Amino acid sequence: MQGTPQETTQPVLILDGLRKSFRGKTALTGVSFAVPRASLTVILGCAGAGKTTTLRLIAGLDQPDAGRVVIGGRDVSGWEPKDRDIAMILDNLALYPNRTGYANIASPLLIRGEPPEEIERKVTEMATMLKVAHTLQRLPKTMSGGERQRIALGRALIRTPSLFLLDEPLSSLDAMLRIELRAELKRLQREQGHSFLLATPDFTEAMAVADTVVMLRQGRVVQIARPQDLYDDPVDREAATFVGAPQINLAAASHVPGEGGGQILFAATRIAVPPHLRDGVASGPRDFELGIRPENLALADPGGAQIRARLADIEPLGLKSVLTVRNEAAELRVLVESAETHALTLNQAVGLNLTNTPKLLAFDPSSGQRLRP
Amino acid sequence: MLTRKLSPLQMAIMAAALAVVLFPVFWILMTSIKPPTDWNASPAIWVPTKPTLVNFKTLFDPDALREYGVGGVSQSATKAVLGSLLASLVATALSVAIGLLAAIGISRYGNGSKATPLIILSGRMFPPAAIAVPFVIIFSSIGLTDSYVGLIAIYVAATLPFSTWMLKSFVDDLPREIEEAAMIDGLSRLRAHLTVTIPLIRGGLFATTMFIFILNWSEFMFALVLAYSNISTIPVQLAKYVTATAGTLYGVQAALAVLAMVPLVIVGYLIQSHLARGMTFGAIKQ
Repeated sequence: MQGTPQETTQPVLILDGLRKSFRGKTALTGVSFAVPRASLTVILGCAGAGKTTTLRLIAGLDQPDAGRVVIGGRDVSGWEPKDRDIAMILDNLALYPNRTGYANIASPLLIRGEPPEEIERKVTEMATMLKVAHTLQRLPKTMSGGERQRIALGRALIRTPSLFLLDEPLSSLDAMLRIELRAELKRLQREQGHSFLLATPDFTEAMAVADTVVMLRQGRVVQIARPQDLYDDPVDREAATFVGAPQINLAAASHVPGEGGGQILFAATRIAVPPHLRDGVASGPRDFELGIRPENLALADPGGAQIRARLADIEPLGLKSVLTVRNEAAELRVLVESAETHALTLNQAVGLNLTNTPKLLAFDPSSGQRLRP
Repeated sequence: MLTRKLSPLQMAIMAAALAVVLFPVFWILMTSIKPPTDWNASPAIWVPTKPTLVNFKTLFDPDALREYGVGGVSQSATKAVLGSLLASLVATALSVAIGLLAAIGISRYGNGSKATPLIILSGRMFPPAAIAVPFVIIFSSIGLTDSYVGLIAIYVAATLPFSTWMLKSFVDDLPREIEEAAMIDGLSRLRAHLTVTIPLIRGGLFATTMFIFILNWSEFMFALVLAYSNISTIPVQLAKYVTATAGTLYGVQAALAVLAMVPLVIVGYLIQSHLARGMTFGAIKQ
């Protein structure tokens, strides 16, 4: 399977209209996307979005009701998992409970009949990299969740298939290790030229590692974008709120037509309609929702500020803090340097200015769709 | 094995339960070494004063009881013991093997419909006596009466629902992802089941084998109606120790029953650790 000449421009994986339902319950309604060779693509979606189903169909653990899976240019529909040239980490890890850490990691190599000294070298190397060398002689039941997760990672990464499928591979690790290991995964992928398809519900993880993010919701692809584009240019309100912490502010707004595109009335203030929103807002409903990322608001002197409000809450995050401010028309989260909060007391009057109006987003309040020209 | 201290009340309950379970065993053991005069003695003789092995001897030498003036024992039990071993071992092996395939098929691939397991079990919903006669009629027309092939065929058919259901529950309890990960590692479906599924349900497999063996070993109805002269089994032989002159030969029956217990005790002892694990397997959520 490996080593066949491939055009480097050809995607390693193409999904074409995958549909799947389980006992009448629809899980996927036509999922199509491609994974470029030597890239890290992330499937981002909340629980039940269809991430695991998609990965299982790619691996051949389940068969799609309709659609095609093409791996390395070959339609693999109906092929057994072992013939698909993929490695996968299942989300519940599925280690052999009756075999040691060593045997678990070595399993794919043993099946392929690699020479014992080669296996030993590779397993030791992998265990050292994943920091589980001390667990190699132990059974999974005696390992911590993080150790098990890393053994499962090792068992997948010990091979060099054309595509790695990682179903929430970092979910049971503690925060420090997760960040460390995701950097390690990314480095490994880039250095070795691996193709990764990683599923996660965690947008920070997606942002941190992805070359491309495929956003899945209720069994359909809603957006395919680079991470920064997903953040700056989400397809709809749900995507905008799913990506970003603290969450994007959604303020009730209305459009007041007038000269130069008119004005937007929100949070008891008025601003000129920014050029990028002009056509969308003009053609949409009069009342809409304005999306403002918390970092695009800044504290200002209440006297001359665009928005006047009262400080309702301060949530320190370390370097940054999240302020919640409220006035008669809106409640807004504001991301500020923690140093700025020292002089603040709850319930005091504060002023806010919009700092980055080109990043404002407008949504249809009923459908949640972006208001675009 | 038991590390927890029992309270006196628990001890008492345990002792009472043990007494109830073990009393018949005790009685059979004692009867098997009683001379004919003690079998029906009144008041009952609990522990024989003159223990004898004549009952055991009679099993293999029908004339041994003549020294006590009891005759008319026609047949040695050798054929029955060998017959029981043959029929039970072969039928158990077949039943468990077929049941295992069915269990994996149903549990992992939903073979058949949702009703398949129930349909399989429905075979057990008739009393054996109700289907024994039709079986004899069918078997005599195809020449399977009075043959071990016929007996084994019936035993497999009769125990297959149990082996399928028991093994299905053990396979159900094993997370399928373990097999799936093995398939991704490079095993075919068949090899994944052979090298991953089966070793991991080993406890359940032993428990099922034991249970099916006991069912076959102690089966009476089918053997009775199928066995004329060529074949015999221990339960059928037990019923034959009734003579015209001396009535029921309780001591000889008890001796054969003691012999019949031996393989079960040995197997039970050998696999008790697996048996215990098999029995608790379903209780552990993985």
